[in-house]
Amino acid sequence: METNKLIQVKDVYKRFEDGNMTVALDHCSLEIRKGEVVVIVGPSGSGKSTMLRTLNMLEVPTSGEIIFEGVNIADKSVDINVHRQKMGMVFQHFNLFPHKTILENLTLAPIKVKGEDHRTVEERAMRLLGIVGLADRAHDYPSQLSGGQKQRVAIARALCMQPEVMLFDEPTSALDPEMVGEVLEVMRDLAKHGMTMVVVTHEMGFAREVGTRVIFMDQGKILVDEDPKTFFEKPENPRLQDFLAKVL
Amino acid sequence: MTLWQRMTNFSFLPDYAPYFINGIICTLLLSVVSVFVAIIPALCLALMRLSKSKILRGISGAYIQVFRSTPLLVQLFIVYFGPFTAITLPSYKMFGFIDTAIFIPGVVALALNSSAYVAESIRAGILAVDKGQTEAARSLGLTQAQTMRYIVLPQAIKNIIPTLANELVTMIKETSVIGYLGVQDLMWGTKTTAGATFLPLSPYILAAAIYFCINFPAGKAVEALERRMRRGDK
Ligand SMILES: Nc1ncnc2c1ncn2[C@@H]1O[C@H](COP(=O)(O)OP(=O)(O)O)[C@@H](O)[C@H]1O
Ligand SMILES: [Mg+2]
Repeated sequence: METNKLIQVKDVYKRFEDGNMTVALDHCSLEIRKGEVVVIVGPSGSGKSTMLRTLNMLEVPTSGEIIFEGVNIADKSVDINVHRQKMGMVFQHFNLFPHKTILENLTLAPIKVKGEDHRTVEERAMRLLGIVGLADRAHDYPSQLSGGQKQRVAIARALCMQPEVMLFDEPTSALDPEMVGEVLEVMRDLAKHGMTMVVVTHEMGFAREVGTRVIFMDQGKILVDEDPKTFFEKPENPRLQDFLAKVL
Repeated sequence: MTLWQRMTNFSFLPDYAPYFINGIICTLLLSVVSVFVAIIPALCLALMRLSKSKILRGISGAYIQVFRSTPLLVQLFIVYFGPFTAITLPSYKMFGFIDTAIFIPGVVALALNSSAYVAESIRAGILAVDKGQTEAARSLGLTQAQTMRYIVLPQAIKNIIPTLANELVTMIKETSVIGYLGVQDLMWGTKTTAGATFLPLSPYILAAAIYFCINFPAGKAVEALERRMRRGDK
């Protein structure tokens, strides 16, 4: 096994058992190597979120394997909590804990899950809040922050667990336009520091500049998996051409 | 006597006022203690109801249905003449008149009944917490139990507290069946007064007025509490 393969998605099929029996992922395979920034784009409903959420088992695939650090985490006998600690996730709607201060949002999981020492975690949390520019808001509550600030806290919260990979599900889609930049800036910085990232987004500028690979999904299938230059400048797939014509 | 005279003949009051005063104390004590005692079993029932295990869900669902679909009075007698005939309870007089030997079985029966209702409101309170909260917690590696304890329950509490207060208001009325065991609650005092004075109507008018004077403001307080809790949201 090559060690630089952090995540391997092998023939993953996902059907929601909800009356519609929607097939959200139709036999998808994918590899994510250390240090890559993989951007996933595609029309709404194409299965991007489901793809991302199966990576940390928030959605359990109907069949197929997710190999993370050599372990098939789709296997039911695996203790998923151990592996989730190493996969940070950032959501469209932030999902900060409203009853906790900003600092507590960051320190809760390292203390409760990893059993780390309070002081160590708080120091790290304050450093991370400094990096996302919100050290002075440590003792405020999430409701006192703007959308952009909330999302920066959410990123810092995920980073505080010191993950191997960060998963982003449309992190800027719920933001007012003037706040999109500050969040993308933090993500760009993270990529520059070598963090492995999987990003679902509609920000084509970000995909092109920061992505090391861009994936196009449509109707539950991965149709294109290319470097950004080829993806945006010489798209061959007709569905991708259609999509790019609409969004660019 | 005209109907109006029969309704408003409070000549019994100087002699029988203590029955009513003791009755109020007993009714309030019984209701508050019962709802309080109901909270822990109700939380267990609610968590069972939400669990992945079919068996736990089934047990909890059956319990809730049984207690909601049978009269409280029947439950009261079954508890009193069932398990409690096998146990001898110490007989101690609280406030000088409430006998623990019948008060305790009364509380147990009321709490068993109340827990079925409270369980449903706890369940609703938990379900009302945004699913994103659970997802965020689980994505950080928290177990299901840690997520419930540190993230979901603390947020569910503000949905649950108003419904608990509401349950208390309901309980104050429901406890009126407890007199059948000989617990000297407000209803028992009223009935005793009516029997002793041959005044069949006015004591009940007074009891209704007392229940109303407790529950109407309490209900309003619950509404105010609900509004405040909602305003507390983001
Ligand atoms: N929890 C769910 N239950 C049922 N169907 C779902 C659920 N989540 C997503 N779907 C369906 O799966 C498909 C893919 O959804 P999603 O992965 O959210 O797409 P995208 O993120 O690309 O917009 C859609 O048809 C959606 O309706
Ligand atoms: Mg989506």
